[in-house]
Formats: sequence, C-alpha cells, structure tokens
Amino acid sequence: MKRRSRRSTLLLYAIVIFWSFIVLFPYYWLATTSFKKPLDATRFPKYIPYYDFQPTTEHWDYILTQRWDKTWGSFRNSLIIASGSTFLAVLLGSMAGYGLSRFRYYWKRLRWRNDNIAFWIISQRFLPPAVFIIPFMIAYADLGLIDTHIGLIIAYTMFNIPFAVWIMRDFFNGLPTDLEDSARVDGATRWKAFYRIVLPLSAPGLVSVAILSFIFSWNEYLYSLMLTNAEAVTLPPFIAAQNTQRGVEWWYISALAMLAIVPVILFGLALERFITRGLVAGALKG
Amino acid sequence: MAQASSDLTIQEGQGTRDDRIMKRVFLTPTVFILLALSIFPLLWSLGISFTDIQRGGSTTERIEEATGETGTGFLGMSWSLSARNYDRLLHDSRLWIAARNTFLYVFMGVTVQYVIGLLLALVLNQQFRMRGLVRVIFLIPMMTTPVVVGYTGRMMFDSFKGPIADLLRHVEVWWAQVPLIGSELDLAVPWMTDTKWARFTMVLMDSWQWIPFMMLILLAGMQAIPDDVYEAARVDGASPFQIFRRITFPMLLPLSATIILIRGLEIFKIIDVIVVTTGGGPGSATESLTMYIYKTALTFGNYGYAAAISFALLVLVVIFSTLFLGLIRRFIPRDQF
Repeated sequence: MKRRSRRSTLLLYAIVIFWSFIVLFPYYWLATTSFKKPLDATRFPKYIPYYDFQPTTEHWDYILTQRWDKTWGSFRNSLIIASGSTFLAVLLGSMAGYGLSRFRYYWKRLRWRNDNIAFWIISQRFLPPAVFIIPFMIAYADLGLIDTHIGLIIAYTMFNIPFAVWIMRDFFNGLPTDLEDSARVDGATRWKAFYRIVLPLSAPGLVSVAILSFIFSWNEYLYSLMLTNAEAVTLPPFIAAQNTQRGVEWWYISALAMLAIVPVILFGLALERFITRGLVAGALKG
Repeated sequence: MAQASSDLTIQEGQGTRDDRIMKRVFLTPTVFILLALSIFPLLWSLGISFTDIQRGGSTTERIEEATGETGTGFLGMSWSLSARNYDRLLHDSRLWIAARNTFLYVFMGVTVQYVIGLLLALVLNQQFRMRGLVRVIFLIPMMTTPVVVGYTGRMMFDSFKGPIADLLRHVEVWWAQVPLIGSELDLAVPWMTDTKWARFTMVLMDSWQWIPFMMLILLAGMQAIPDDVYEAARVDGASPFQIFRRITFPMLLPLSATIILIRGLEIFKIIDVIVVTTGGGPGSATESLTMYIYKTALTFGNYGYAAAISFALLVLVVIFSTLFLGLIRRFIPRDQF
C-alpha cells in the first residue's frame, strides 16, 4: 500500500468527521429536544443541556406513565407485527430459497426455469405497494382483517418474502450439499435434512433476512396507516398522528421517536455484519 | 447460474417420491402468497379502477338510493363500469404535479445519493484508524423509521427554531463583517415553506437516510476489485484520479446501474417523509403519487379513482425501468449486467 500524503490524510479525516457530524447531529437534536421544556424547544435553538437550557424529564414521564397505555399499545403492536411477519418471511423464504437452489423446476407454459421463477419473485419487491392498497382495503374490510395484527402480518410477509427468497437462495447456492446428502443416505427425509442440517448451517443468512425483514416491518408506514385505525396501529402512523390540535408538540414527538428508533438501531448495530451481508447479497447478485 | 446440484438432486421427473413431493412443498407457499397477495390484487385493482366504487358503497348505489331506481349498475351489480376515472386522470392537474414531483424526487434523489455515496465509499475504502466504527455510524440512518426522519428533518430545517437556520444566520453575520467583501448575504432559506425549496428539502431528507445504502454497496464492490489491477496501474505510473476514472469507476458500473435502479424504484414509493413534514403542501406542491393515492382513498374515499392513479404510478415505474435498462444496455455489455 502506498503511503498517503499528509494533506490527503487530513482531507480524509475531514470528510469522515464532517459526515459523521451530519449523520449524528439530528439524533442529538432529537434526543435533546425530548428533554427540553416547551419554551426551549419553540424559540431560538438551544444546544447544550444545563448550559443553554435546563433539561426536564416531564415529557418522558408523560409518555411512559400518564400515556403509557397508548405508547405501549403501539409499541406492542409494532413488536407483534414485525416479529410475526419476520418469522413467516424467514420460514417461507428459506423454504423457497432452498427449493430454488436444490431442485430443478420447469414450468412448461412459460418455459420458466429456476432463474425465471427467482427473478419473478424478486421483481415483486419493486412494485410500488400503493398499487395493491385499494384491493387490500376492500378485501380486508370484507374479511374483518382491518385493524388486526394478522392483517398487517400477512401484508408485510408479502413484502418481505421476495427479498428473503433471494438472499436465502444465494446463501444455499454457496452451501455444499455433502452433509445433507450423507444424512439422506442415512435415511433422513428431505424435510428432516432441511431443518436439522441445512437450517442450522444457514444461521448467518437467516439472521440477515430476519433483521432486514424486521427493520422493514418496524418502519413501514403506508399499509399500517391504511389498514389500521385504533387497535393495531404500529409506531410509524402513531408518531405521525401526533400533530395534535394544540400544534406540533415537538417534545413528546421527540421522546416517542427516540423510543421507536433506539431499540431497532441498537439491535441493528449489534447485528451490523448481517445487515451489510444481506444488503450486499441482495444488490450484488441482483 | 449453475445449480448447486448433487447426485441426489433430482432431475426433471426423476428422484425419490419424497423429493417429488418436497420439491413442491418448498416453493408452493411462496408462489401462492405472491399470487394471492400481489398478482391477484394487481388485477383486482385494475378492475376497480374502471368502477365507481367508493368507501362504503359506490356512486351508482347512492344514486339508486336517491332516485329509488334499481339495477342501473353493471350487470345488475351495485356499481357501474366506465373509463371515467381514466378520463379524469388525464385532466387532473393535481395528478400531473404529483407525477412530476415523483419523477423529480427519483432523479434528484438518485443523483445526490449516488454521487455522495460514491465519494464516501472511496473515502471508506482507504485504510484509517477506527474505520469499522465510522462505517457503523454511517449506517445508522438506514435503520431509522422514515416518519422519524421526517419529523427530525422538520425540526432541523425549521426557519426559526432549527439549528440549520441558526447556523446560516451566524454565517450571514460573519460574512457581513469580513472586510473588503462586506456585501449582504441572504441565507434565510425557506426550506419547508417555499415550493421549490420544499421539494429539494424532501430529497435532502431521503438522501440523508439512503446515502449509506449506496455507500455500503459501492464499498463492497470496490473491495471486490482485485488488488493486482491497482498494482499494475500504479506500476504504469497512473495517478489516483486516473485510477479512479479508468479502473474503479468502470468496474463499478454494472453494480452502480443495479443500485441506482433499486434506489430509483424505492423512491417511487416515497410518502412518509412528506406526510410528516409538509403534508404535501404548500397546497399540493410537494405531493408524491403514493401520497395522492393515499389521500384519494383515505381522505376522499374514492377507491375507483385511487386505483386508477395507482395504475398511473405503475405505468411511470415501468417507463422508468425500461428507459433506464435500455440506457445502460448501451453502455454496459450484456454479460456484465
């Protein structure tokens, strides 16, 4: 590796520090706003706690005790719906990915082989969700699925599956078949070989799919907005609806927003390797 | 693509009975779900777009209730069939604004995100201390709920209490004190309130969130370029800029095309950031197509027209993808993409 000049090293660090600041400052602003008294948050900007303004925990107190029912309600909904659709996407996605990796399919009518099927599956991900929303609204109203956990779990599973299949197929393609073959020579069925041997070996791929599905479901806004109204509202529409009649109460929104993003970010940072791997696999092989 | 097949992997029609069954068991649920929840709704949506179905009934039903007539609908159904929604589509100026905005968001967003993402990827491709930590920091926005990004952006860009406006005010004051120049500088940017600026602010917020994605993928692409290619170029005395122009950039082209397409298609879906910042305003100047669909369906309750707009969106997406794929086919050989 060639040694860098002093000047380019400085430039390098300048860019890194500048961009880190751009990335992190909004979070700092969000966090401090949640501790500001209303007057401190609505007049000229105050930056440093204890120096510029006197922090208060009353907004956290408000959303965590007085309005805990509502806060916990939407938090729980998000948790249930994101976990449910993640589980289904991982299960069905790895099954389909395994099938596409190990068997040869041929659909005579369209002359589709595995690659065509895989491409058709991934192409579903790029259709704008708004295109299906009207039938979903009508069908869900008829089936009584409006404002239920199951309803959103089904919808999000549909969005998560294409990506899950794509990543898992890629993962299984890189997994040697020796172990499952010897298990099957010993008399194990396909299914047993799949879930006793292949799935445990694919833990990294499964984690990638799970974390990406979870983040998507946790952050999704449009479908939750359109298909829920009271009981099953997830965090994004709940936060977006905080535009109350008394105006935008930035301090409460900031506290709620922190509550919504911090768990996911911590969770994501802990599994950062898997996110990177999943996204790269999704784009590189696409 | 080569199948990772083994001796036991069945060929068409061969293999054990277990395999013949499992082959279907593995793939069928996914195909069924996608057919039932994606293809079927798509066709149904096309059907709805030709009707006058509204929330809690249809226009036909309401007219029948008012006049006492029955059976005026299509084949005795409770709704009528017509191309009226599509006729309205062509004359709806709000739709054209939304379509233009959406295209603008896509093109500006993709450009900003690609250029900055590429720059950051080049930086992170260098060796320096704490590189791992910095990369992790850069990824945080991607995991943040877009609704929160919108609210935070609204606080940041507020022209009174926002830190950005505050910074610009300080720059103004400082600029006025610089000797020799001394001219007045007006940096009171109406980030959210002026139509043109508001559209740009939307792009900035979306970019803040998704630049890391571009950076991450491009970085992975750069690290996949073998070292000896660079070595050879350096031996030949190529400058860093020449190396970038002649080696790194061309080798990243196929990957760039892929992620630009992915990001472009994602920006077509933009709604959350707009809803919580300007709410589509001033007027409907910053509205995206997805947002117009949501308003038509949920606020106005007009399902038929909302379905028609969603097909307009679908057509735009298809036009965009086809044009883009056609364009890159001319620059990138078939086997590389």
